[in-house]
Amino acid sequence: MKEKLSKVLDYLQDRGVDYADIRIHDISEEHISTENGMAQDLSTSRSRGYGIRVFIDGALGFAASQEFENMVKTADKALQIARATKKAQREPVRLAKKDAVVDHYETPVQIDPFEVSRQEKLDLLFAAEDEMRKNAELFRTKGTMDFRREDKVFADTDGSYINQTLYESGGGIQAFAAGKDGMQTRSFPNSFRGNFATAGYEFVKDLQLVENAARIGEEAAQLLTAQECPSGKFDLVIDGSQLALQIHESVGHPIEMDRVLGHEAGYAGESFLNPDMVGFAYGSEHVNIVADATVPGGLGTFGYDDEGVPAQKVEIITEGEFRNFLTSRDTAPVVGQESNGTARADGWGRIPIVRMTNINLLPGDKDFDELIAGIENGLYLHTNKSWSIDDRRLNFQFACEVAYEIKEGKLTGKIYKDPIYTGITPEFWNACDGVATEEHWQMFGTPNCGKGEPSQVAHVGHGAAPARFRNVKVGVKDVR
Amino acid sequence: MLDKDQSYELIDFILDEAGDYQARVMITSRAEGLTRYANSEIHQNVFEDATSITITVTEEKKRSRVSTTVYDRDSLKEAVADAVQNLQFIPPGEKQPPAVDEPEEISADHYNPQLADKFGVDRRAEMLAECFDTLQQQQKASGKLTYQESNLAFGNSEGIKRFARGNQVNFSALVEVLGEGGGTGYAADTSTRPEDVNVLQTFGRAQKKAEMNRDREELEPGAYTVILEPLAVSNLLTYMAFTGFSAKSVQNQMSFLTGKQGEQVFDSRVNLVDDHTNENTVSLPFDFEGYPRQVVTLVEDGVVKNFIYDAMSAHKDGVQSTGHSVDMPQRGGMPLHMIMAGGQHSTGEIIANTDEGLLVTRFHYMNAINPRQSVLTGLTRDGVFKIEDGEITGAVKNMRFTESMLEAFCNVEAISSERERTPGFFGNYYVPALKIADFHFTGKTDA
Repeated sequence: MKEKLSKVLDYLQDRGVDYADIRIHDISEEHISTENGMAQDLSTSRSRGYGIRVFIDGALGFAASQEFENMVKTADKALQIARATKKAQREPVRLAKKDAVVDHYETPVQIDPFEVSRQEKLDLLFAAEDEMRKNAELFRTKGTMDFRREDKVFADTDGSYINQTLYESGGGIQAFAAGKDGMQTRSFPNSFRGNFATAGYEFVKDLQLVENAARIGEEAAQLLTAQECPSGKFDLVIDGSQLALQIHESVGHPIEMDRVLGHEAGYAGESFLNPDMVGFAYGSEHVNIVADATVPGGLGTFGYDDEGVPAQKVEIITEGEFRNFLTSRDTAPVVGQESNGTARADGWGRIPIVRMTNINLLPGDKDFDELIAGIENGLYLHTNKSWSIDDRRLNFQFACEVAYEIKEGKLTGKIYKDPIYTGITPEFWNACDGVATEEHWQMFGTPNCGKGEPSQVAHVGHGAAPARFRNVKVGVKDVR
Repeated sequence: MLDKDQSYELIDFILDEAGDYQARVMITSRAEGLTRYANSEIHQNVFEDATSITITVTEEKKRSRVSTTVYDRDSLKEAVADAVQNLQFIPPGEKQPPAVDEPEEISADHYNPQLADKFGVDRRAEMLAECFDTLQQQQKASGKLTYQESNLAFGNSEGIKRFARGNQVNFSALVEVLGEGGGTGYAADTSTRPEDVNVLQTFGRAQKKAEMNRDREELEPGAYTVILEPLAVSNLLTYMAFTGFSAKSVQNQMSFLTGKQGEQVFDSRVNLVDDHTNENTVSLPFDFEGYPRQVVTLVEDGVVKNFIYDAMSAHKDGVQSTGHSVDMPQRGGMPLHMIMAGGQHSTGEIIANTDEGLLVTRFHYMNAINPRQSVLTGLTRDGVFKIEDGEITGAVKNMRFTESMLEAFCNVEAISSERERTPGFFGNYYVPALKIADFHFTGKTDA
């Protein structure tokens, strides 16, 4: 294959490209879901093809196909598109420099998830479903597992040739309780299909789905008769899984340099940040956030991005001060930098764009009990139920599955259903007055980050521990 | 792309490989050229030619599914073998519904060669360059112009064959007025007919709206009378379709229409039908299980009449599938071609008859907070305008709404006579503007 790609790249150079690269993706996925003790879905998929990206006089053209015998034809298509781009382009694209790399990277796995029998996987989900129903009357129970292997080849006119094999594994369970007044859900270890990592089947075994199932089932049933969460201003402790999505929406997306530069304005939106805002007081001194594509197991962990730039660990917010954007080769030159390696495509048919890697809130120095003890009248919010944020990433609103009441520094045991909290990004992060210690810190995988046109879905990670936030708006029922 | 003969040949090969097993095959071939622009220039210009084959094999109470983009004969043999092998260890589940067995063939060719001529990659760039030439110094533009061709083919072990060919164009324009007090405006169009999509005209609408959206006033959260333009109505309907109009969502008690079939749920002026035969939708005459797509009245005079079905949810209720499978068994189907009936008055007249209210262009980043109550949240985007004494008197900063659609669609006060083609999750809708009382904005922004 290396020789074939080299010939196509030579062909493109002979036709005057400034730069060209070819990516081949061969993605195998396995999805298993059970519902009410029955197999709901057992499906596998394979997607193999290639994309050719060219720049002529700084104008981009990209064409993708699955017909490997037609690579030159696809290259010609990319050239034609780049020439068309020039008809409506004001400034040529400048690409940041990078080294030519010949390398191989593979996700370290202990158990190849595709070697584990589907029977074993189904049995684990069935066992978890049984446990959920053990002590609770439930309307519906669900279990899911997802596995992915992606073999990627990257070759470019700079002389890079990189092979990568990335594995992902994930799973989760859900309990649904239904009554005349509605439906309540509890999920473990996270909502929306559970938790995910770049890892093998060992990750799913370690999730302890069966061990946590009874508790989840009982909580779903309890929520059905729980009071609705009150509205007002409260001090909150937010659990790691919910905080992961909070980081995703209110830190991860606004720091994407393509959004900052307006590349996503027509669709997902822009950012409240601009290139001059390095040094901005994003949060309190307790807020330390990094973008780390090298952390073991993170769903956004890889060897090289889809422009052939090595995975990196970058400071994003240090003691509350904003330090760096996420950049790609076409966006980094705007701030006089080289790419920090975040350009990724969701497959062979898409161009790489700036994506989160693992955007991690670093652990703090507070024990979980200490966070709770510091609250007179507040709530401990757990597990995301819905999310929404404006097109500049300022006004957010999240719903969670459950709120645990905190009174006089203690969890009272009372739970509320349907909690919602809302805020403005910098105000919220500046209201953080404590993050739990490393003992409580965990990586969460988000396999459904949408962006771009045509749409792309990225798999990204977020490390977080529970953290405390003061005086946050909860609920919307008081607005009439 | 695979044409009809190539697709049918592959389907026959796969069904032969499946032998005595009940099998169905869906082949999706799509070629899309997408020209994307930002900062008033093309910045992303891409093309993808992709074919995907999904093979579903069933036994009496078992089903497994394999999809692949690799369709050489050996790879297809492996895919079929994998699907069959899975059946051996799947424990019996729900009884599988019968396969579609009539009519023997549906073949639809909606491909319009004039559309292909008008929206090739060079013409797309030239049209956008013409748009950029109209921008004033303090304006910048972003958006996309997409041309897509698609072929869908289906076959099953009962000897059923389906094929549909079509093409369509999608255009969107977001214009921003730069500088102090500047704002954004948005317009979009989608069609299968070349005469429908006037890129320069749609771009001009976005420009005009951006010019109107200056010096925005900040309003406090509260209940307001709103006039939602068709894009905003479409945003709401998209999430309602996602969470509530399928029988599966009712069976799962997740739908806001659970237990409400036959009841007056919305204002009596609300009429909603899923109609793929309407000339303003992208017709797809069968679904991903091969069932002929039915025209389904969802809401008539505010009364919930019918739900849409895929084969499994229909089997459970003892009825026929309405042909709305999107091959997502967990969803049980989706209405892809929703048509909302228009009203008696133009949007201009509705504005003129409004003492106090807000005109909303569209919503951004919506989500369902409580599907059972159809409580949705999201933010306004690209233009909210204050109406006083029947006239637009100024622009308003974006706000967050949190509202139950069960209440909002009860509070409909007027429906516009004009309707627009708007995008949905899949497919597109054709909807009017709605005037709704007591629509709750629960948060504000400074933009």
